[in-house]
Parts: sequence; C-alpha cells; structure tokens
Amino acid sequence: MANSILEVKGIKLAFGGVQAIDDCSFHIEEGTITALIGPNGAGKSTMVNVISGTYRPDEGQVMFDGKDVTRMPNYVRAQHGLLRTFQISREFANMTVLENLLVVRQGQAGESLFGALFRAKRWQAQTKELVAEANEILNTFGLYRLRNEYAGNLSGGQKRLVELSRAVMAKPRLLLLDEPMAGVTPALIERLGNHIVELNRELGVTFVLVEHNLEVVEKICSRVVVMALGKQLADGTLAELRSNQAVIDAYLGGGSRERVGS
Amino acid sequence: MSLILGYVATLLVTFFTYNIFVIGLNIQFGYTGILNFTVITFMAFGAYFYAVFVMPHADNASQVFYILGLHWPWPLAMLAGIVASGALGYLIGLIALKRLRSDYLAIVTLATGTLVYGLFGNNNKLFDGWSGLFNVNQPFQSVATNHPNEFSWIFVIFSGLIMLVVWLFANRLYASPLGRSMRAIREDQDVVDSFGKNSFKIRMLAMVIGSVIVGIGGVLTIQYIGALSPAGWTTGETFVVWAALLVGGRANNLGAILGSLLVAVIFNEATRYIPQVPSHPNLIPNLRNVIIGSLVILSIWFRPQGVLPEKKASFLEVPLVDKYAQGFPGEEPDSALSPAGSEA
Repeated sequence: MANSILEVKGIKLAFGGVQAIDDCSFHIEEGTITALIGPNGAGKSTMVNVISGTYRPDEGQVMFDGKDVTRMPNYVRAQHGLLRTFQISREFANMTVLENLLVVRQGQAGESLFGALFRAKRWQAQTKELVAEANEILNTFGLYRLRNEYAGNLSGGQKRLVELSRAVMAKPRLLLLDEPMAGVTPALIERLGNHIVELNRELGVTFVLVEHNLEVVEKICSRVVVMALGKQLADGTLAELRSNQAVIDAYLGGGSRERVGS
Repeated sequence: MSLILGYVATLLVTFFTYNIFVIGLNIQFGYTGILNFTVITFMAFGAYFYAVFVMPHADNASQVFYILGLHWPWPLAMLAGIVASGALGYLIGLIALKRLRSDYLAIVTLATGTLVYGLFGNNNKLFDGWSGLFNVNQPFQSVATNHPNEFSWIFVIFSGLIMLVVWLFANRLYASPLGRSMRAIREDQDVVDSFGKNSFKIRMLAMVIGSVIVGIGGVLTIQYIGALSPAGWTTGETFVVWAALLVGGRANNLGAILGSLLVAVIFNEATRYIPQVPSHPNLIPNLRNVIIGSLVILSIWFRPQGVLPEKKASFLEVPLVDKYAQGFPGEEPDSALSPAGSEA
C-alpha cells in the first residue's frame, strides 16, 4: 500500500504467560480516521503502546512512513510525528494550560543548555510566537479563558480537551488516541468528535482511536480495525463489520446487537 | 568590633554558600523532581578535590596523607573541584536515572552518600580519613595581608558574586524552554518522552547542573574555612539543605534564598549560641535538629508549597478578540467571555 502511513506486521508480545498480542497485523492509511475496537483484553492499549514505542514487541515490525521504527525509542518516534495520548488524562498538573502546550513544541531554540543560556533573545521571541499560536489552539478548544489556570485544577472533561489541544500543538502526523472519550459527557463527546474530524480535514492529521463508543466510531471513523485475543480479527467500515459473524461473536454479539442496530 | 565584623562576614559567607547549595538542589528537585538525598556529598567532593588540587604534595613525615597534591593555582583547582562534583552527579545519573523512578533514585543517592562517607572516612590515604584536610590553601592570601578580617570581607564579595552568577543562571534556566521541559518532567516524565523529548538526557542535565552548583558551594566552603573533615558533612547536613528548600519554597529561587536564610543561617547558626549544658554536651546540637525537623513538618503541614511557592507562569500576550473567544460547553456563552472566577 503506497499511502499507508503506519503498518504493523506480525506483532507478538507476551507479559509472563499472557500473550497480549499474538501475531497481529494491520495498516493505517494516511489522512484517515481509523478506530481500533475490540472487547476488553483484546490487546488494543498494548498495541497503542507498541506503536508509540512504550513497549517493544517480542516479534514483528512497526513501520511508520516507510521506515522501520520497531527499535526506535518512543521520543524519537514522536520526533517523526508519531504521537499518542493516554487513557487517563495526564496533564502537567502544576503548570498552566498555556505552559502545557508550550512544552511540547519540538525544536525550540532554548531547549539545549547552550541555547537556554546564550540565545535568550531568540527563544524569548519564539516563545512569544508560540504563545500566540497556543492561544489560537486553546480558543478553538474553548479553553482560552482557562489558559492561565493550573491544568490540575481543571475538570475531567476540560483535561481531555487540554490533552487534545496539547497534541495539536506538537504538530503530529499520526495521533494515537487511547480512549479519548472515556469518562466524558455526551455533549463533550460530540465536541471532541468534531474537533478530531476538523483536525483531520484541515491539518491532514491521521488518527487512530481506541474507542468503545460505537456511535462515535460510526460518526467519525472511515475504517474500523477489530482486535480480539491479541489478533486482528477484521477490518472495514462499521457497516461491513456488522454483518461479519466473527466480529459479532467476539465483540458486537449478545445483547449489544440491538443497540448497534444492525 | 573586629570580632563582630569577622562574625558577620562568616554569617554572610554561610548564607551565600547555602544559597548556592539550595539553588543546586532546587534545579534537581524543584525544577526536575529528582530526589537527591545526598546533597552534602557533592559539597564534599567539590571541597576535597579543590583541596588536593591546590595543596602541595603530601609530606609523609607529617603523617597527613592525601592523593594528588598538585599545587595548582586556586582558580584551576576550583575548576577541578567543580568538575569532580559534576562527574559524581553524572555517575549517579548513569546508574540511577536511566531506569529508576524518583523514589528509587532517592535510595541510590542515599546509598552513594553513605558509601562515599565511609570510604573517605575510613581510608586515610584518600583525604586523610576522619582527621580530614586542613591548612588548605586559600585564595586572595597575597592581597589580604593586613588583618584576618580583610580576607573574610574579600571572600564575602567573592562568594556573593559567585552566588549572583548562580542565581542569574538558575533563573534564566527556569524561564527557558529547557527549564519548562524540566518542570514538565517533574509533573509526568512519560508524557514528556511521548512528545519527543529525551527525558533521560534532560534529567541527567539537571542532575549534573545541580551537582556542579553544589560543588561550587563546596569549593567556597573549604576556601573560606581552609579545612574539612567528614564530621563537617554528615547526612544531617543534607537535610539542612532540604529543609531550607522545602520551607522556603521549591521551584522558586527566591524561596530557596529565604529558606537558606531561615533554616541554614538563623536556625542552624543562631542555635549554636545557646549555652551548652555541661552534663549533656549533645543536647543543644540534637535540639537544633529537632527544631529544623519541626520546621519542615510545620511548613509541609501548613504551607506545603513553602513560604514562597512556585510562581505561576505569565506571558506577554496580545489577547484574542473577545467575540472570537469561545467558551467551554455547558457554560452560558456570555460567562465564557468574562474573566475567570465567574463560574458558579
């Protein structure tokens, strides 16, 4: 596939006796929003950790943008534009919302010791530009008014928005969202969904979402990858998957069939 | 009069060197969240290595043994002491920062401190064991010839200037993007990594910078006193520095200075003038530790951020046009435009 930005091939990873991921392969096309779904324990979050570089797989390969990144530390992957968020909001609590955003931009002049000490004029000017840019981002996410508040004082939903706006500030090419809608009110779910679609459309960010809320998946994701028992079970649009017996048995099955409305 | 002047000079030098220690620890702990429980070992490293680089070769007849004895000029020896302290920080970092989280790192630092203390004390060929080094060459001896106080006051200015440089350095570091990354690591190291920054490298940098700064304070200490033995850098001394930082306010260099004034100068020095109880010679020093300990507990209980807490960052910015600013969902659109604090 010429335009696939991410490819995982034959990933295997065991924790002790538990085979969390067992020969799982799939690919993600550039510029798409893809959902990664599956029952609890399917290995979705583990897969996110393998892709982002937190875990190293026992076997298999992770290819990002045509390069083999399997052995690359997570921060180098992030420098290439492969970013992630976490299942639980992990804001920098004792820093302001604005600072949360300023931290993550890469390639600032004052990031080396020499630059910090002797290029003060340059990083001060840069910081001024970054503050303006961050304010624009915060404004789109409705956080502008809270920019000088400590991130730790925000509500759960607001922290979710900080996470997403912080990821935007880092200019990702591919953004892995690990359950971005967990513990979020329906109104905010809709809003987060709209943000994701906008970011995808306007900035061309590729998204991979681990998500349990199938309404959201249906609304914003063009493709769905289903995992079960550490394997890739199927992929396609949600409509296609609804008629897939294996998927129904593993995930959609039981009482949830009516809810999904097939 | 000359006695009081000399005493004031000593207090000032103590104040300045403690400021330097506390700022060094502040960069490690206050900025970056590195729990260094052996601050005073770095002070000793700086001091001892300054001494053996500046002193002449050990004279075996005097029964005082130490390594090197290179008799370098004092500025060069000063540099050597600082480098030695930084190198120790780097070594501990290599062992502890790569894989260990803060609490385990704290154990490694504590263990290293105890090891170094035992090694330097028991091995009398390294730095003359428990007797320690004395008659260490002091700077400015050729200029300050008239009166003992002359040296003291020259040294007040010297150490004050160095403290000023350290202070300016620490503040610039704090405000810089590097300092911001350090504080983000203090908050959540994994997240900093996942945004493309090498958190190991940044923590190592903070570790070494802090060690170098504490080493500077160590060199100044031995330059002023001219002697140092293990009794002068027991584990308890580390916690005087910690107490100063916690009471004064971590991640705020002004707090670090206030803390070293309160704890290191006022409590630590002033209690030395309480008359000794002849039957219990250790009573007053022990009480001093009790007082400093209580001060830490009280400050953590009533003012966990310290007397001068970390300042909230503010930036020069052009405010976005109000009509353009969006509110948070669930809020009335109007209240979204009013300043913070209006939420019911």
